[in-house]
Amino acid sequence: MNFKDWFKERFPIDYDKFVEINERIFIKEPIPVHMKKWWYCMGATPLILFALQGLTGIFLAFYFVPSPEMAFESVRHITQDVRFGFWIRGLHRWGANLMILSLLLHITRVFFTRAYQRPREFNWIIGVVLFGLSLTFSFTGYSLTYNQLSYWAATVGTNLIKSVPLIGHELLYLLRGGEEVTANTLTRFYMLHVWFLPLFLVFFLILHIIVLRLHGVSEPEGFPKGKYFPFYPHHFYKIIIATLFLLALMSSLTIILPPGLGTPADPTVTPFHIKPEWYFYPTYRFLQLVPLKVGIYVTGAFLIAFTFWPFIEPLLSKKNEVRRKISWGVGALTLIITLGLTIWESLV
Amino acid sequence: MDTVKGQQWLIGIFSTLLIVILIIVAGMEMEKSHATKPEIEIDKMTARCITCHEEKGIAVKQIDAWKESKHAVMGIGCYECHEAKKGDFDAFTCTGSDILIGRHPTPKDCAKCHEQQVKEFANSKHAHQFWLLKNGDRAVFEFPMATRHGCEECHQVGNIWPDGSVGECDVCHAKHSFSKAVARQPETCGECHVGPDHPQIEEYIESKHGNIFKAKGKHWDLNYSTKDHQKIPLEVPVCTTCHMDGNETQPMTHNVSARLATESQAPWSFRTVWDEEHLGNWKKKRERMEEICASCHAPDFYKMYFLTADLVNLQYNEIRRQFVYWTKKLTKNGTIHRLQRDGKFFSSPVLNGWDELPEHNMYYGWHHEGRRFRMGAEMMAADYTQWHGIWEVQEDLTELIKWAAEHGDAEAKKIAKSNDPTKFITFALYDVPGTAWGIAAKTNTTPFVYNNLPDYWDRVYKNVEAAFQHGLLSEDQWQLWLKRYKNKDYYLGLKFANTPQVDSTWNFYKKRNDIDLQKMKEQVIDLVLPGKSFFEGR
Repeated sequence: MNFKDWFKERFPIDYDKFVEINERIFIKEPIPVHMKKWWYCMGATPLILFALQGLTGIFLAFYFVPSPEMAFESVRHITQDVRFGFWIRGLHRWGANLMILSLLLHITRVFFTRAYQRPREFNWIIGVVLFGLSLTFSFTGYSLTYNQLSYWAATVGTNLIKSVPLIGHELLYLLRGGEEVTANTLTRFYMLHVWFLPLFLVFFLILHIIVLRLHGVSEPEGFPKGKYFPFYPHHFYKIIIATLFLLALMSSLTIILPPGLGTPADPTVTPFHIKPEWYFYPTYRFLQLVPLKVGIYVTGAFLIAFTFWPFIEPLLSKKNEVRRKISWGVGALTLIITLGLTIWESLV
Repeated sequence: MDTVKGQQWLIGIFSTLLIVILIIVAGMEMEKSHATKPEIEIDKMTARCITCHEEKGIAVKQIDAWKESKHAVMGIGCYECHEAKKGDFDAFTCTGSDILIGRHPTPKDCAKCHEQQVKEFANSKHAHQFWLLKNGDRAVFEFPMATRHGCEECHQVGNIWPDGSVGECDVCHAKHSFSKAVARQPETCGECHVGPDHPQIEEYIESKHGNIFKAKGKHWDLNYSTKDHQKIPLEVPVCTTCHMDGNETQPMTHNVSARLATESQAPWSFRTVWDEEHLGNWKKKRERMEEICASCHAPDFYKMYFLTADLVNLQYNEIRRQFVYWTKKLTKNGTIHRLQRDGKFFSSPVLNGWDELPEHNMYYGWHHEGRRFRMGAEMMAADYTQWHGIWEVQEDLTELIKWAAEHGDAEAKKIAKSNDPTKFITFALYDVPGTAWGIAAKTNTTPFVYNNLPDYWDRVYKNVEAAFQHGLLSEDQWQLWLKRYKNKDYYLGLKFANTPQVDSTWNFYKKRNDIDLQKMKEQVIDLVLPGKSFFEGR
């Protein structure tokens, strides 16, 4: 009895059917020809980075201790004492940044190719949820290092929640586990970061991919329609190349720009300059420019418009050409404003 | 590159690139693990010392300490410091070997590498054996057996060695780790700067600086270098931060006299002239200290703080003048006597004397209480300025005058018998309107000096002006004093003393105080126990 038969006896599945399904779903997944172009085929980047974040995150969790006394010290321990600790931490830190960057690029690509159009509106919304989850991931992760900057970023960041109408204060209390950022906040953020957020993110990620597969990849204008190539080997190789490239890039960045430690968090000393991570710069600068209430409501309105754009766009015109012009205009304006605010914030 | 072949090439290229980068990462990891546990290379000579010492179990812990030192990492072994030539005062052949070594490495040995530090130290007052100079023969009172592990242990810091070098580096840089962190630990300074005559460590702990250091400093790494005009890496200063370490503007120095403006340990407080050729005058030294203060504080604060401390020092001199007046007078008229033997004096009416109360009072009024009064004011130690300081100085003086009165001195009798509240101020006064801490709306309304002595501020003005003209205060300080003097009502808080808001706050506490007094009376003062006194006479 060979191994195959031995195995089939113990796990009596229809092997041929399994192979067939695998071929149909993965190996021979029809990929539109425009995805031979590098500019259009990088939607898997955030997925690759998420997988790497999961892996490096597990390694970091071996040593990280989520308590005010130990958090900073354990990050120091990982960075300075643990074998290859600085590399794993560097990968995780740069991975987080690249993940946000790749998501921004992915969103930009999807928006300008208008891949969100009917019937794919809900996959855009799922994508927005995924983006929100990723930002929360970054925010909670950044706060866990418990140095002066991250502590105060957590304080200022959570403070915004107070502005939520009616239940703002209760929400803040729930998130911080008290009035101030304390040991309770740290454990809450830790649980969010390593348990709840991964759970939600994996759920929405699977949903994102299922919806994508059900509709098939959208085919942008200007490419021959109805022409496909199989997932393997062409696109599979692209993912392998992207993975290798990202690993090399993140390792190089870790060598050239290793994440620092900062000074331990001191709740009694407010630093002169409190700054969030770069991807919050536009919001942060905007909130400083206008009265807080106005800022929160405008940002909220923007988020709603952004989330439901696939449903808003058709209401604006019946002509596709006009809709495209409006969308591109709105997209370009948003890009210019966010980039402008980001540059502004990084200069002050 | 869109073909499968092209992609396979890309995979190959990126795999190779990744491997190269991973090799670099591994290399960094290796370097890091080396860096955290420095490899100590022990040369042949040092290996001989260590082997023999470990075999015989002699001073083994010192070897462990050396292994922790920067010396060990840099390949400075035993012999580099313990090397000796025949005829050296401390040369001896190490038992069981043929190695000639020096038992006492002196600053001369340290200077082989640390020339600047040794030179700076030798120019500091740490290196000065002043206690041997004037009437230093305290063996009259404190016999040699007591001074061996007493005076001599601390003053080893300025020991003059047979090789002519001066000082002992390991007094602060404890051997054989010679750690900067240990040298910076305030308790290291406190090994000597402690106790009734110069309680700097106690004063530091009483100060806000020391308090914060005690609360938060446990995990601070004091093992840093301040050579290159870096920022002070501590939230609050330790002793060396102000007296030795560098900051953005000041270089690090081993000359502890470089930033001190007043000789407030001396019998009289005077502006220092120590090593003026290298360090400049007292104003220059004060500037240096202020540059350190400026790392954390605004000039408004520290300039007023120092002005107040300087006036405390000048005030001390005026009280001191009284002590000296009385002991000199009482010696001259034969009421008290100097110690003498074979025509040589062993005590002095202006410095010490051990057997008669006025001499004792005069000595304490300077050497113990007088120093606490002045140093407390310089080091933010209120209790040392007040209760351990001026209170006891005044007691010494009052006791001295009372003693003189009891021994027939007419002038002293007049003072002792007087019922006037000014009887305790038989000297001129200095003052400055207000403090560095803020505006006190009620503090300066107590009646004694302000209401009973109408020319109080005129006289103080003349005294401060005289001190300035005599060079004891800088132009800057005089201007600061004048600014406060011209706005006395503001700085003394008198302008606000009777405003409605101050009155209402004040009356609130006055009412509470009345309740306190009433309850104290009811609870205890009016209590008469039925058991009565057991002494039948009462």
